[in-house]
Amino acid sequence: MSSLTPSTQNTPASVREQLSLVEARQQLEGQTGRRFWRSLDELSRKESFGDLLQQEFPRFSAEWDPMHRRTFLRLMGASLALGGLTACTRQPREKIIPYVKQPENMIPGKAQFYATTATICGYGFGLLATSHMGRPTKVDGNELHPASLGGTDAALLASILTMYDPDRSQSPRRKGGATAATWETFDAELQAQLEQQTAAKGAGLRILSGPVSSPTFLALMKEVTTRFPSAVWHTYEPVSRSGWYEATVAAFGQKLDPVYNLADADVIVSFDADFLSLGPAHVRMARDFGSRRSVEAGSMNRLYVAESQMSTTGAAADHRLALTPDAIESVARAVAHALGVAVTGSHDTPHAAWAEALAADLKAHAGRSVVLAGEHRSPALQALALAINAQLGNLGKTVTLIKPITATGASLADLAQAIDAGSVQALLMFDVNPAYDAPADLALAERLAKVPFTIQHGLFDDETGALSTWHVPASHYLEYWGDARAFDGTTSLVQPLIEPLYKTRSELELLAAVAGRPGTSGYDLVRATWLDTLGGDLAFKRALHDGLLADTTEAAVSVSLAWKDAGPGETPTTPDQLDLAILPDYAVADGRLANNGWMQEMPRPITTLTWDNALLISEETGGRLGLATGDLVELDSGNGKVTAPVLVAVGIPVGAGVVHMGYGRTAAGRVGNGVGFAVSPLQTAASPHRASVRVRKTGDGFEFALTQESHTIAGRNHLRVGTVSDFKADKKFVMKFGEFGGKETPSIFPPHDYSQGPQWGMVIDLSACIGCNACMIACQAENNIPVVGKDQVRRGREMHWIRVDRYYEGRAADAAVHHQPMTCVQCENAPCEAVCPVAATVHSTDGINQMVYNRCVGTRYCSNNCPYKVRRFNFYKFADHETPSLKLQRNPNVTVRARGVMEKCTFCIQRISEARIKARREDRAIADGEVVTACQQACPTRAIVFGDIRDPMSEVSKRKESPLNYGVLAVLNTRPRLTYHARIRNPNTSLETSSPMESSHHGA
Amino acid sequence: MAQVFHPAANIIARLSIVVGLGGLVGTLVLFDALQKSDYVTEVNMPREQIVPFSHKHHAALGLDCRYCHTSVEDGAFAGIPPTKTCMNCHSLIWNEAPILEPVRESWRTGTSLEWNRVHDLPEFVYFDHSVHLNAGIGCTDCHGRVDEMPLVWKEKTLYMTFCLECHRQPEKFVRPRDQVFNMAYEKPANQLEVGAELVRVHNINTSNHRLLDCYKCHR
Repeated sequence: MSSLTPSTQNTPASVREQLSLVEARQQLEGQTGRRFWRSLDELSRKESFGDLLQQEFPRFSAEWDPMHRRTFLRLMGASLALGGLTACTRQPREKIIPYVKQPENMIPGKAQFYATTATICGYGFGLLATSHMGRPTKVDGNELHPASLGGTDAALLASILTMYDPDRSQSPRRKGGATAATWETFDAELQAQLEQQTAAKGAGLRILSGPVSSPTFLALMKEVTTRFPSAVWHTYEPVSRSGWYEATVAAFGQKLDPVYNLADADVIVSFDADFLSLGPAHVRMARDFGSRRSVEAGSMNRLYVAESQMSTTGAAADHRLALTPDAIESVARAVAHALGVAVTGSHDTPHAAWAEALAADLKAHAGRSVVLAGEHRSPALQALALAINAQLGNLGKTVTLIKPITATGASLADLAQAIDAGSVQALLMFDVNPAYDAPADLALAERLAKVPFTIQHGLFDDETGALSTWHVPASHYLEYWGDARAFDGTTSLVQPLIEPLYKTRSELELLAAVAGRPGTSGYDLVRATWLDTLGGDLAFKRALHDGLLADTTEAAVSVSLAWKDAGPGETPTTPDQLDLAILPDYAVADGRLANNGWMQEMPRPITTLTWDNALLISEETGGRLGLATGDLVELDSGNGKVTAPVLVAVGIPVGAGVVHMGYGRTAAGRVGNGVGFAVSPLQTAASPHRASVRVRKTGDGFEFALTQESHTIAGRNHLRVGTVSDFKADKKFVMKFGEFGGKETPSIFPPHDYSQGPQWGMVIDLSACIGCNACMIACQAENNIPVVGKDQVRRGREMHWIRVDRYYEGRAADAAVHHQPMTCVQCENAPCEAVCPVAATVHSTDGINQMVYNRCVGTRYCSNNCPYKVRRFNFYKFADHETPSLKLQRNPNVTVRARGVMEKCTFCIQRISEARIKARREDRAIADGEVVTACQQACPTRAIVFGDIRDPMSEVSKRKESPLNYGVLAVLNTRPRLTYHARIRNPNTSLETSSPMESSHHGA
Repeated sequence: MAQVFHPAANIIARLSIVVGLGGLVGTLVLFDALQKSDYVTEVNMPREQIVPFSHKHHAALGLDCRYCHTSVEDGAFAGIPPTKTCMNCHSLIWNEAPILEPVRESWRTGTSLEWNRVHDLPEFVYFDHSVHLNAGIGCTDCHGRVDEMPLVWKEKTLYMTFCLECHRQPEKFVRPRDQVFNMAYEKPANQLEVGAELVRVHNINTSNHRLLDCYKCHR
């Protein structure tokens, strides 16, 4: 917990004055029209926040690292002298190393694309991986795959970095080290163990893994159980879905998986379900959700959310309630009752009006609505949601139920019992880390020590590996052969892009050894499963090429509701305790991605927190408990205690707190170790995602690295939001915000001629953006963007070329949240260009604000003059030039920037160049849609459109014609090429009678 | 008070100014000359290779450039032939020549031959062979008469100023597409007229000096 030691400099209490709730409220009173704010400090208009705005880079960015002036001058003198000399070096000699036998169809320097499959909690997700000369450099969604349709999420995009992680385990390791740890000695010992087990028919053999959908894995598991009939398979997933299966058994008498069709849903209700960010189908659901958020394209859907956290789904909602789980359940019960579902117990709720309006809306859209409940919540709540769906006739229309895609075994609690009973002699663990993430009451770390022979198979020699007899390294999914099934049953193959970087084996290969077929290759195993089913080699190749097997979707099961409400499943917390939601993290999930620098540095949606987790509480709760951002507190659930820093956040229910899983790792690697705090001491097997805790202030302080106040351009109408009725009343309501097109002012520079050739432009639809950060990580992978670390983020030196700005609107207690992805807008009249003394940033004829790294001398004038604050400066040598494995990930078509160089978004200039060269070679013009930027490609909701604005038929030109289109700070006459579509919300008029748009506006 | 300086000191003072300034200018001129010298640019300096491969000899046999540099029309890199390409012939002819032992060793062991790079652009420059051939820029325009080089050397500096000569006025260099691989191609006397027509025929868009956009080479 090294990071939880009190910081020595600037405790936050001294930097920021304590936030006064009353003050904040006063600021809002008397405000008319729309007012957006970025942080609670800004809302209360602190003087310190005003100072912050005046700075180019906020806070400590301009501060010297501790150094005396004289030392500095001495060093500068020396480096000037030496620097002059080193400039005389000659270009280093290089070798050209051709193939011995060149693979067919390979053109050196040209990327190749292969379909493959990643898994999310056991479910398949189709990917298209980019390979440069045999090095996979990037993964994207597979357009043919139903879970993706082209989009991805941040975690999948970052998964490629995990493959190149230098901390990955590279060879087997045996505890004690008496035996030389090689695969050969491991194989010998494993086979000896299995021989011993044969006599007892495997009674002492246990296998622990996550839920699995892979048909080959399950076939091998069958072989294992044939060989060892008494062996037991346990499955365990830290993000529990067990409540869901309990609910389907209660409602329909069988275990079922859901398939939601949000594209056909007019009304969507989420009871604590973060369906836009979590679960095996979240990318697809985001796509379907986003496809119905355009006011111009047709009827918009309406999203109601009642949740115990502030999720991206909540931010996307038209109506949102922040409630504790028990209160959510009462709302759900009230809705169910209003719709005629027989419920037992009270259906009273303080939010009766909300529930009634919702029920009326659902009734009006029976058969065209979806009700979801969080799969980590009680079976009772989820069964209620199913009952409402059944009552509305949604089953079979917008909600389809299918046989479970993933197979599950006995539970982790059963394993703990079996260990206590002494019946576990050998335990084989696949890709699980129970020593770190199992609920504290199972005490898996202690129990594992009691098992005589344990094997941990994983990418990292982690907390569980340290306790195991053997740790054996696993291959990454880009290194092995396998298969998986998606949320709807679609089967796809896991195709390796590269030979394993180290001496690793896949799960399938290890399981085959247990099944009695040691040494069988993953390729043979997968081929054996599919060759006959598919009917030959050609079909197998076709499946590999497409990234899926045709016609493998699972058929719907017809069900009838046989459910009786057994009363509340969630009980309220006593008022003296905090109702704590324990949730998977947006960045590191359950800790699997803890050693992934991209994910650690990605600002978490809404909070914009990086490199930490925190206890999130609302302002009011903070006031009650006397807590402010940066206070360290001890959380005591009765079963365990953790020390956590407090972050006062928006949208958290009163009396509740939120903590995220996946931190406080001790054996994650150099990036993830000691980041944040572990939450497993607060979890129990019975309630892994909710706990009642007592909060005690320790008196120490903590410093967060938040990006929410970095690069602020507050006080201007860069965000424009309206409702459907605003739009219907006045299609050009966006104009009311003012700040449209600046006056042409005389310039000393010759005007640019934009009349020829393609002219690149982009439109981002704020109605579709869900703030998931996929664009940010896609950009990071595509453009070789470095990771800078917590300290540098704290100084506002994060390097992301595209950031997702988050704005709040309204009162702090029930603020609406808006996202605005912001990157270089490629001004036609770019202020940065005028001030560069060395012409390192100049305009191209096709309208791109070019950044020439080799010319840049690092004056930072451009950044100073940029009104959008989208330029990033390499204060240090942030790019890792040393670690060999990380070099393999780099995009060879983008320069790796050195220290002292400014950088920024260039609309993926390398992709434009590639398309331009291809078109030239074929003597034609670049077609619309041929250039796809990395952010656009990744966006799960297709909010980003890019193309030639000179071509009136291009998609981007059509979007620019929309009345919703506006440019940020266009009043400065920068003529941005990146414009936005105002966010349109679709509130229920019976709940939101007066639109803020109807009151007067400032600006114009 | 007596004069401190003798009148002759004036001459010394003037001389030292001239010598000082002249020295400075001389140093700069010398430095510039050095930078442009073959020693620094490595122009006209044949590079030793693991196998003394002679382009002159192989071209004289009638081999087309593209027999070995297969991707020159399709990709950024012209392509250096794999050992397999050498062995196509040299498993049959000169198959015991000691000079070719590294090639045979590479074939036997499966380890690549390592060639010394002759034309090496800085890492921040992104050059694409295919687009230049398509525009009508011949091999010899940058590489010189490789068909007359026993060991390859650099013919041009490949400095940015060299690239810009053509990017400013492509009509001065462009040749018909069917002549790009012609090593012996001579520019016609009326190159500017022919070139201007070829620029039009080859769809080279030179409006607003777009060939000078930085991002054409730097990304």
